[in-house]
Amino acid sequence: MSPWFEWVTQLCLLGLFVAAILCLHRILVGPGAADRAVAFDTLSAIVIGMICLLCILWESSLYFDAVWILTLVGFLGSAAVARYLARGRLFP
Amino acid sequence: MNATLDLAREVAAAAAMIGGTFFMLVTGLGLLRFPDVYTRMHAAGKAGTIGVALLILAPVFFFAGSEPFVSLRGVLAIVFQFITTPAATYLLAHACYATRYPIHAGTALDELGRWMPVASDEDFGAE
Repeated sequence: MSPWFEWVTQLCLLGLFVAAILCLHRILVGPGAADRAVAFDTLSAIVIGMICLLCILWESSLYFDAVWILTLVGFLGSAAVARYLARGRLFP
Repeated sequence: MNATLDLAREVAAAAAMIGGTFFMLVTGLGLLRFPDVYTRMHAAGKAGTIGVALLILAPVFFFAGSEPFVSLRGVLAIVFQFITTPAATYLLAHACYATRYPIHAGTALDELGRWMPVASDEDFGAE
């Protein structure tokens, strides 16, 4: 890995960290449950991106399975919140 | 591995992750600044999806030819992301509209309001 590429990867990790802080701010102050669910969905996407960048930084594809597992599971949180908002309960 | 090919892989991966980080930062800014839940969903549903797709493409470019099955797993992850994120956003927006989440006062047009009946308390939550 060339030095400029490592530098760019770390800069992108810093940018994702800033975006995660913005999402955490929305989770903290969001007026309703739906705002928090949207922010949590975005936060899981940011964690997926962080795992991708760490795979590049460590030059190992060991954790790359976590990426597609998180894409499958991360959507369940906001789907559960939507179902709870629409019906008032999770299971019929 | 060829030196030119190494440079090409790194340039492609760097372009993908810079683009993805830009879109995720725009998503975070939208979540921070937009006034109501529907506009926030607009930011998170579109820019967030394309941003995470670009970020998944970065290791696919970087590990091309060196590690097995990364491209297959990456394309699988992008396909799952493009299936699940709009579905979750649609479910959440529908639930918000049905439970009368407040819409920002500057909203110009609310076309669904004619077609969707006002939800009563008996429909939601009251057992």
